[in-house]
Amino acid sequence: MSDSPKKDHGVLYIGMDLGTSRTSVSASNGVRETVYSVVGYPKDVVSMKLLKKDVLFGKEAIERRLSLKMFKPLEKGVLKYTGDAAMDAEAKQNLKAASDLIGEAIRLAKPRKDELVYCVIGAPAEASLKNREAIIEAARAHVDSVMLCSEPFSVAYGLEWLEDVLVIDIGAGTTDLCRMHGTMPEEADQVMFEIAGDAVDAELKRLIEESCPGAQFTMQMVKDIKERYGYVGEPSERCLVELPVDGKPTQFDLTDQMRRACSILIDPILKGITKLVASFDPEFQTKLKNRVLLAGGGSMVKGLDSAVEKAMKERLGSGKVIRIEEPIYGGANGALKIAHDMPAEFWEQLK
Amino acid sequence: MSGFKETLKDAVRQMSFRTSLESLKKKGVQQVSVLGIDRIIALIEAAVHRSLRQHFHGIEREAVADATKTEFLRMLRSNEDLQRQKSEVERQKERAEEEIDVLRRDLANQQQELNLKLEQSAMSVASRYQGENAAIAKKVADVLRTLSSSENLSVAVAEEKVMELVMDVVSSERKAAEEARAALRDREVETLQRRIGKLNESLGQTERRLQEVAAMKSIDGGISSIYRDVQGVAADDAHQGKKKELMAEIFKANLKLQRKPGA
Repeated sequence: MSDSPKKDHGVLYIGMDLGTSRTSVSASNGVRETVYSVVGYPKDVVSMKLLKKDVLFGKEAIERRLSLKMFKPLEKGVLKYTGDAAMDAEAKQNLKAASDLIGEAIRLAKPRKDELVYCVIGAPAEASLKNREAIIEAARAHVDSVMLCSEPFSVAYGLEWLEDVLVIDIGAGTTDLCRMHGTMPEEADQVMFEIAGDAVDAELKRLIEESCPGAQFTMQMVKDIKERYGYVGEPSERCLVELPVDGKPTQFDLTDQMRRACSILIDPILKGITKLVASFDPEFQTKLKNRVLLAGGGSMVKGLDSAVEKAMKERLGSGKVIRIEEPIYGGANGALKIAHDMPAEFWEQLK
Repeated sequence: MSGFKETLKDAVRQMSFRTSLESLKKKGVQQVSVLGIDRIIALIEAAVHRSLRQHFHGIEREAVADATKTEFLRMLRSNEDLQRQKSEVERQKERAEEEIDVLRRDLANQQQELNLKLEQSAMSVASRYQGENAAIAKKVADVLRTLSSSENLSVAVAEEKVMELVMDVVSSERKAAEEARAALRDREVETLQRRIGKLNESLGQTERRLQEVAAMKSIDGGISSIYRDVQGVAADDAHQGKKKELMAEIFKANLKLQRKPGA
């Protein structure tokens, strides 16, 4: 950004949710965009000439994946990057893909060249120091000043729920639970486990293979089916999908398999809630149980809020779970609000 | 206020598009409902005022209305700037394309001229030599005839001697003339080649400029933020104190992270 023209037109704030499956941005110019966290580079000169691009992102990359070397730079909520000086070529390429992805997300926010760009990125609560440094480095090339904050914290801040609230952020790689009590959450306030969207996909794939002999499908198809029909509890519709069998489209009823796959989320979430509630000040435990926020792409599984609430009542005596209105943009909106509320002198010092 | 109404009206006009009744008919449209521009402006104004009345009171409402009006005019001016920049880029592109056409035509003419000169040169040399040789032969024959009238002299010997003498003179003359002509031709060729080289360089530069202009045209100007200045926690925020503390904590963590050596 150092070669930019005079930045006297205004200030653009960007909030970014850097996720394993999707990266979303919300900006103070009204732009809200999301892109699959997938980066593809042309395999050879022929494919580069055909695609007319050096790098492709998201859906476009998935659609052209046969001509591309594909990278998913985030895994289990963090960059696939060790931070070792002697990291292998694959790790270096993943780091470059992550940098390109962050750059693309900022470009999607459509910043003007004559505006200051201040960005807050919601990073997984458990991201390592090296990981955080890598994210900062990647973003610095595209913005004037950047800060990181914990992803579940940004969700709660965006909704102005700053005290006695428990955020459950279900991503693709990890599910993060975070207890807020008016200060920045510490390690003891957070629980993270790897049963999340990707684990549901893997379980659904296993169940389809088991019950639909001969059906051909890819992981991407399984993911699409889950995003369309995912539910727990009582089904609102039958999950009827067409999958090819020996090249012929054949209809399968996956209603039961879908419920079983999505239900694997409930038990670990309950264990996490129990741990965070039980270790909280007893006077405020009831209040905390009644202020549980469900966020992240995984929270779009139909009936999950009711199922968690029901399980909480059975195990903890009471509970109130609220699904946030925009699960995809909850983190980005919160990060945007943090960017807005950050004083000018703090931004200046980090330039 | 009437000035603002006119600006609003201009903006609505700029955003609208013109079409003919014929083209609408072709699209299968038989009837259209017409809404006058004054009516549209009145509706926008009424909606804005009603919304302001519902959400704000007194001075606050006036302040918001003024700020909105200022921001609207700023965005409109910004849009006009972008339009002007776009037109300028397009004019530059057209000029560059015209320049390329002129240079290409010039280059083709120069190359044609060079080929013609080379051909003419080769032909004139050949014809000149023919004429010279015939003149020499005639002169030699004249000499022989003169010698043959003399007694005690073998004609063959005399002819051989004369030819030797003549050819020696002629060949040295030819050599000198050829060198002079070659030097002249080389100078001409060199000049033309230099000119072609310059034209090629100029063509390359213009093409590069055209590419740059084309690239400039595809640059997205971006969308303006709603903020002119850095904001911070609002003074009337119910959680102002708590939020400021949280912002300070986030900042401290980031300062520690970003000021690390090598970070």
